[in-house]
Amino acid sequence: MNGGTQPKAERAASRRIAGAFLVSAAGAIGFAVTYGLDGGTQWEGVCLAVAFAGLAVGLAVWSRRLVRVGGYVEEHEGFTPPPAEQAMTAAVLHAPDSPTRRWGLLAALGFALTALGVAALFPLRSLLPSDRQRPARSLKDTPWGPGVRLVDGEGRPLRPEDVPADTLVGVFPEGGVDVGDAPAFAVRLDPGRFIRQPAGGHLGGLAVWSLLCTHAGCPVRLYLKGTGRVLCPCHQSSFDLLAGARPVAGPAARPLPGLPVEVGSDGYLRATGDFTSPPGAGFWSRP
Amino acid sequence: MRRRRTVTLPAAHPRRALAAGVVLVLAAGPVALASAPGPAAPATTAPAADLGSRLYLEQCASCHGPQGQGSQRGPSLIGVGPASVDFQLSTGRMPVTQEVQQSSRRPPVFSPEEISALVDHVASFGGGGPQIPRVGPGDVVPGRDLFAANCAPCHGATGSGAVLTNGWIAPPLYDASPTQVAEAVRVGPGLMPAFPSQVLTDRQVDDLTGYVRELRGERLDRGGNPLGRLGPLAEGLVAWAVVLGLLVGAVRWLSRRAGE
Amino acid sequence: MILGSLARALDDRFRLSPITRRALAKVFPDHWSFMLGEIALYSFVTLILTGVYLTFFFDASSADRVYHGSYAPLDGATTSAAYASTVRLSWDVRAGLLIRQTHHWAALAFVAAIMLHLARIFFTGAFRKPRELNWLIGVTMLALALANGFTGYSMPDDLVSGLGLRIITSVVESIPVVGTWLVALALAGEFPSDEMIPRMFVTHVLLVPAVLVALISLHLGAVVRQKHTQFPGPGRTEHNVVGSRLWPSYTLRTLALFSWILAVLFALGGLVQINPVWLYGPFEPAQSTSPAQPDWYVAWGDGALRLFPPWEFRVGGYLVPAPFFPGVVLGGLTFLLLYLWPFLERWRTGDRQLHQLLDRPRDHPARIGIGVCALTFYGLLVVAAGDDILARLLRVPVYDLLTLFRILVLVLPVLAGVLAFLVARALRRGEASSLGELTRADLRRATRPAPRRPAGQDEPEVPDLHRPGQVELWPEGALWRWRYRDDTGQVTLTSNRAVTSREEAVGAARLAYPGVDRAVVPGPPPPPPPGRVRTALRRWGRAAAAGSLLVGLLLDHRRRGGRRGPPPPDPAEPGSPPADEPAGPSGRP
Repeated sequence: MNGGTQPKAERAASRRIAGAFLVSAAGAIGFAVTYGLDGGTQWEGVCLAVAFAGLAVGLAVWSRRLVRVGGYVEEHEGFTPPPAEQAMTAAVLHAPDSPTRRWGLLAALGFALTALGVAALFPLRSLLPSDRQRPARSLKDTPWGPGVRLVDGEGRPLRPEDVPADTLVGVFPEGGVDVGDAPAFAVRLDPGRFIRQPAGGHLGGLAVWSLLCTHAGCPVRLYLKGTGRVLCPCHQSSFDLLAGARPVAGPAARPLPGLPVEVGSDGYLRATGDFTSPPGAGFWSRP
Repeated sequence: MRRRRTVTLPAAHPRRALAAGVVLVLAAGPVALASAPGPAAPATTAPAADLGSRLYLEQCASCHGPQGQGSQRGPSLIGVGPASVDFQLSTGRMPVTQEVQQSSRRPPVFSPEEISALVDHVASFGGGGPQIPRVGPGDVVPGRDLFAANCAPCHGATGSGAVLTNGWIAPPLYDASPTQVAEAVRVGPGLMPAFPSQVLTDRQVDDLTGYVRELRGERLDRGGNPLGRLGPLAEGLVAWAVVLGLLVGAVRWLSRRAGE
Repeated sequence: MILGSLARALDDRFRLSPITRRALAKVFPDHWSFMLGEIALYSFVTLILTGVYLTFFFDASSADRVYHGSYAPLDGATTSAAYASTVRLSWDVRAGLLIRQTHHWAALAFVAAIMLHLARIFFTGAFRKPRELNWLIGVTMLALALANGFTGYSMPDDLVSGLGLRIITSVVESIPVVGTWLVALALAGEFPSDEMIPRMFVTHVLLVPAVLVALISLHLGAVVRQKHTQFPGPGRTEHNVVGSRLWPSYTLRTLALFSWILAVLFALGGLVQINPVWLYGPFEPAQSTSPAQPDWYVAWGDGALRLFPPWEFRVGGYLVPAPFFPGVVLGGLTFLLLYLWPFLERWRTGDRQLHQLLDRPRDHPARIGIGVCALTFYGLLVVAAGDDILARLLRVPVYDLLTLFRILVLVLPVLAGVLAFLVARALRRGEASSLGELTRADLRRATRPAPRRPAGQDEPEVPDLHRPGQVELWPEGALWRWRYRDDTGQVTLTSNRAVTSREEAVGAARLAYPGVDRAVVPGPPPPPPPGRVRTALRRWGRAAAAGSLLVGLLLDHRRRGGRRGPPPPDPAEPGSPPADEPAGPSGRP
């Protein structure tokens, strides 16, 4: 009886497998056609998926229906070598002319290799910036300084009246819009509401702070008008601008550095110095 | 999948703005209106003004005060400007039946005509404020840049919206009409900063709204289902579901001994 | 024909047939959990295949480039070459987006599969001697996978990944003394440096993949040399492997899995959008977006950064910033503990035995408790990384969620760990065979201290080697085969390959089943392949099933009768002892 059903079952399985492979081929052709017609990402993906799914189904049915699954055993030699075997290997390793016997030479060789290894580390130094500045030094320095004008994102210098109340204006040092640690923002607040004076001072309520969160350096660009707070999108630190930009919630621990500004003789805003402390995340030698 | 939402098309705003302007010019203030419209007033404004004041007294005055002076339950409306009133009403954020911290977008309660009348009525309280912007066609390339600089921090680069502190959210922008976007930019509803013309020119607002309109379309989701444009964690969730469901499931099926 | 002559030609030159024969007969266990690592392997192959295609279009440079193409909002905009080429790849290269998205989905699946594989290895104790080295290799590959995932995610120079890179830079900067130097060494300058993208590119496409390929080879080589572990079961001992042979059944099965993984990943790549960098826009130092999250596999670090309180302090005037603890210390501890786990466990249990048989997870309540505790902890951190998204979906203030998570992340892992410990202990002591059957009484009993000595409790269950059963040997032409049959006659395990002499067959059987009786039989045909029986059962319904069962029983009965005839099984191999007994000692010099 088994003899009668098996070929039949096998034939049925074979038919299914062949069918699946045909579907796969159809998918592949479909992909080629879709590509040729520029049919778009979705159709390309579907066709390829069908092609591989056909393969998968065919192979899976094959592996389950037409070949023997399971029921085999393989012996495992184990990994504890007999002591005699170990002794033989050791004897080969420590033969009379074996280098392992010449301790002095080995020590000298080791010394040479260590020296080479250490020497090989030296070129790694070239990966450092070419300006040969201490990295902490460049973190502390920003393009801001006395007399640097404040410009907006398109490089236009800003006058005090360009910063109205209830808005946040991103400001940059003139000529340094792309510098990583330079971005700052200007807001105009009611001076009467200041609980603590802004670190960089203010011009009738107009104050400028570093845009970079003191936690991990993301731009704290989310300004909650009216509350006088800015929020960092990365880890939700929030800073109270009315209280000297000190952190009030979230993981940030230090207030935002302020930027001292004045109105220049040309009527444009300009910095009178660098940030009151290095902007962005903290580091070991940060003052 | 982001739902395909029905977008309430704004009524012809230029016309409404024009009407508001006419009313403002003609009616110097509530007093002037109240003291029996003179023969100089065009006949068409009278019903609109009536409608506006009636609706205002019915729906708004209980919180904002009969003259828009505000109360403990609602802020003053003097000087908020037509753009603000139109934004709040046309997005259905006002009126609210109970005090809420931040009302969210709903189908508008009032028809465009009623909104227009209310805008005029609130404008009659005086105080100026931003007008309803007329949105022209904008260039999406500078618009994208402006959006990334000014809007993406809160509303997300994909426009999907994000959470702020204390339960406030920056809403998704997919339902907002260009005029509503421009109004929000100028007015700064709620916690949102305002962007007056010193900060963004009219041209820039046009570019910005043009980009938001582009962002709203599903044409940009070239890669397939955008998963709400929520970013990597949503993608991670899908990846885990697929790995556990389709791959581990397949492995279990494959490994089941056919003979058992 | 051609294949045959090619094979002969190769064999003439390299004499491959003995190796090939042995390799093709290698036995793989049939339990599904042994294929989790293969999901990772094939995801990696997919990553390489799609990744190579991407390198032809990606321009790893931060130089300015004007994008011109069909993505209107960026048409004519000046961005970095890396970003512009990624947008071009996504919008203007045919099938480029499909390959890019598939690559990214494969990366997510790759790490997920590694995690699952790691969890399986951990909970079943597969890392114990002799496989500690493979555990170390595996953990290293996990670390490399995370690193490569991160560089790959960061290379397009889009706004979201730029924020992530800025965060990682800040975390590295927070390392005392050397932090700023490490950043300078990696980036050749301050954070948005021009060198950043080319260096990440070389790391991503050359350095790490090369190391990964080498480690994968070692990993698999060790599996071949040391052979698979297996779960305890009838006929399975510390000295054998039971399952399917590499050829043909496992080959077909694993190729089916590979195809299926490709199918799933391409379906995802075509239908579900991932990392739409064109929407995010290019990275600008002053721009940000929210919600801002990393890919899920580094999200635990991001979650820790969110949850850790704003604590920082100064050591002798020098600052130790807040990200140091959740970023560097947590990450370092995580991998340190992963690396050390096999040795810590050995030190704790004093177990220096070789283990080829796996634990069931319940066999080690302490291990499962610690594992569940750790998984809950990292799972919570990943969820915490989405606290802003959750806050929005649940409409609760984000800082309330933050406080909640700060408490949960300390409390919930401990609770989950203790619960897992108790459940495992209850399962081990009670009669319940699965979670569903567990009663409250079982759990209550589990809270009481162990009735046995705790030292003995960690001893893994040694399967009964002296369970009666029989090894049968028979000649097949010039070759010899053997098989194992257990008492009940339900389990018959055939030797995976034929050998040339009886001595060899006896040696193999003796290795696989030490102390089990052996007998020479005339040579019964192997039982019909179970696969076909099942097909028949399905096709022909219950009647046919009953019929075939009856036939099977009859055949079985007759076979037993026949076996009992010539060689009586009970006395210790009366038919073969002269050849058999000396075979053991003489086989080993």
